[in-house]
Amino acid sequence: MDIGESKEGAVFVLEPKGRLDSANARSFEERVLAALEKGENALLIDFGKLDYISSAGLRVLLMGAKRLQQSGGAIALCALSSSIHEVFEISGFLTIFNVHGDRAAALAAMG
Amino acid sequence: MLRFAEEIMLLLLDDQDGSFLPIPEWSMQCALGGAVLMDLALADRIDTDLESLILVDKTPTDDPLLDPTLERIAASGDVQGARYWVENTAAYADDIREAALARLVQNGILNREEDRFLWVFRSRRYPTVDGAAEREVKLRIMGVLLSDEIPDPRDIVIICLCDACGIFNDLLSARELERARARIDQVRKLDLIGQAVAKSVWEIQASLAMAAHPVY
Repeated sequence: MDIGESKEGAVFVLEPKGRLDSANARSFEERVLAALEKGENALLIDFGKLDYISSAGLRVLLMGAKRLQQSGGAIALCALSSSIHEVFEISGFLTIFNVHGDRAAALAAMG
Repeated sequence: MLRFAEEIMLLLLDDQDGSFLPIPEWSMQCALGGAVLMDLALADRIDTDLESLILVDKTPTDDPLLDPTLERIAASGDVQGARYWVENTAAYADDIREAALARLVQNGILNREEDRFLWVFRSRRYPTVDGAAEREVKLRIMGVLLSDEIPDPRDIVIICLCDACGIFNDLLSARELERARARIDQVRKLDLIGQAVAKSVWEIQASLAMAAHPVY
């Protein structure tokens, strides 16, 4: 899976591309965990280039959010497509995550 | 680590006498069906989205609680939704229940005792050996319900299944349940198979209610 990675101020940004499902949830999880182990405690996941997410992908997000919550860090998501937004709405994930319209809005809120 | 079907069976046992709590048979069947599917999902054998349950890997788990369901999904040519597979697996709930109880007995978590009512009707009771496994499950559940921490996927699953079975009515006092209701509603939505279990249970409850009080 192609996952973009950048640092914007104090915020570490991951940008998964294409599909996030059982085929690549583990590799995405490894990238999230690697960021947390490096000491990143403000994580933004930019969904702008993500087309699809399954339950396996949702579970990885949940695990990352839980780890960050336990270490006093913060996680936010941005740029969800309408179909992914629907998944988040129906699965109740909008009540767990801070979701922003785009990266700029997310960075402003996290800064 | 216990399978979800084993955890549900522990929670369905009355602490006092080892008999089963009286819950609707259909609720228990759907919960056991969902329990197996959720374990298959966490074992990376299946995945779900809003429309479909997808076979990811048909390699057996070597767990007789899970593999018969995995085999049926692998043998099915069509892609179906999670709810279809909850109801399909619920049809095998008796086998799942017996296998889960047998494993709990084999692992020293439960005892099996045979009773006879009126010297004719046989029944089985399953007193816990020391209650440690059951206490651990209950503590996990209460830890999630009484905090606003992000639950982990296993805790979400067990809360979905407890809610579908109505176990919270026995696990919590009326006052605790009232206080925890919003949290239960939040957590049980977080798993798509859990949502499918709840829909199957509600639908049968609604049709039973309609049958009992038909509208002409």
